[in-house]
Amino acid sequence: MRAGNRVVAFGIAAIVLILLAAAVFLFLNLPDANAFNTRVERLFVENDNLTTGAEIKLLEILAQSGTSFSEVLASYRSVIFVLLVFATALLIASLVFLVTIVALNRRISAIQRAGIQVSSMLISREARAVYINDMEFQLTEAALETLAVLAEARMDDEVLTGAQIEAVVSGRSEADCDEAAGATRVKRLRDALGNQLVSELLVKTIARRGYVLAVGKDALRMI
Amino acid sequence: MRSLALAFGLLLALPAHAECYADYKAKQDDPLRLHYGVAQVSACDKAAAEAELAGRLAAAGWTLLNVLSVFGPEGLEERKASAAEYFLRF
Repeated sequence: MRAGNRVVAFGIAAIVLILLAAAVFLFLNLPDANAFNTRVERLFVENDNLTTGAEIKLLEILAQSGTSFSEVLASYRSVIFVLLVFATALLIASLVFLVTIVALNRRISAIQRAGIQVSSMLISREARAVYINDMEFQLTEAALETLAVLAEARMDDEVLTGAQIEAVVSGRSEADCDEAAGATRVKRLRDALGNQLVSELLVKTIARRGYVLAVGKDALRMI
Repeated sequence: MRSLALAFGLLLALPAHAECYADYKAKQDDPLRLHYGVAQVSACDKAAAEAELAGRLAAAGWTLLNVLSVFGPEGLEERKASAAEYFLRF
């Protein structure tokens, strides 16, 4: 992630630098409005016979039309500036999106490898159900109680022994509780939840038709 | 003898008093204005005329571009029409 940030920083710096150089090059190469005047002036100096009033007036008009073009040049400059700013913004945005996409791809492949990832878990005592990733699983009263105890402990960043679980669920003191009783509760919770999880994610039941493996055909291989 | 000396002196002094004129080109910036003019100069020399005219024109807000030629009174008439309002103005 740190390497990625450095890539982004370098990329943004490179974009800004390149576009800044391009802008400076463009602005320096835009002709100056006075360029026209100097040309006319040179024309006047180099031709000795350009002396009559009418000819000189004509030269002056030529120079004036060049000068009026200078306003157009000023507007060109602002247009170029705005376009360059847009280009910079767009390039930076696309770079950031590119890096985001790469990071997301990495995370998605990690998720695919890790299998099921729980992004939400809602325990409903009234419905006697737990919602994992919006999938509903029905539990018995006892299993729900065990799950609730484990969830509360998780929120406090605590680890419970079997005896502690039994103590909380049954309301007796920890010294009176058996480790094996808690282990049994966990086993029942695992059985109930695991069964349903597998039936939801792996071996699906299709009503009145039968069972099917919920795995993509291309993901299957046999050796 | 005296009159001869006077005549001789006049003869010597004459070139210094000879009327010299120069035609030149000048400009003004922003907006560019150009003019061709004829002016009297004190020295019948192109470089000296250039220096003299540059100062005189600068005082009036003009920049001297170049001096085309230096000539005597006999050349005035043919340049009068071209110089128009700048004929002997500066």
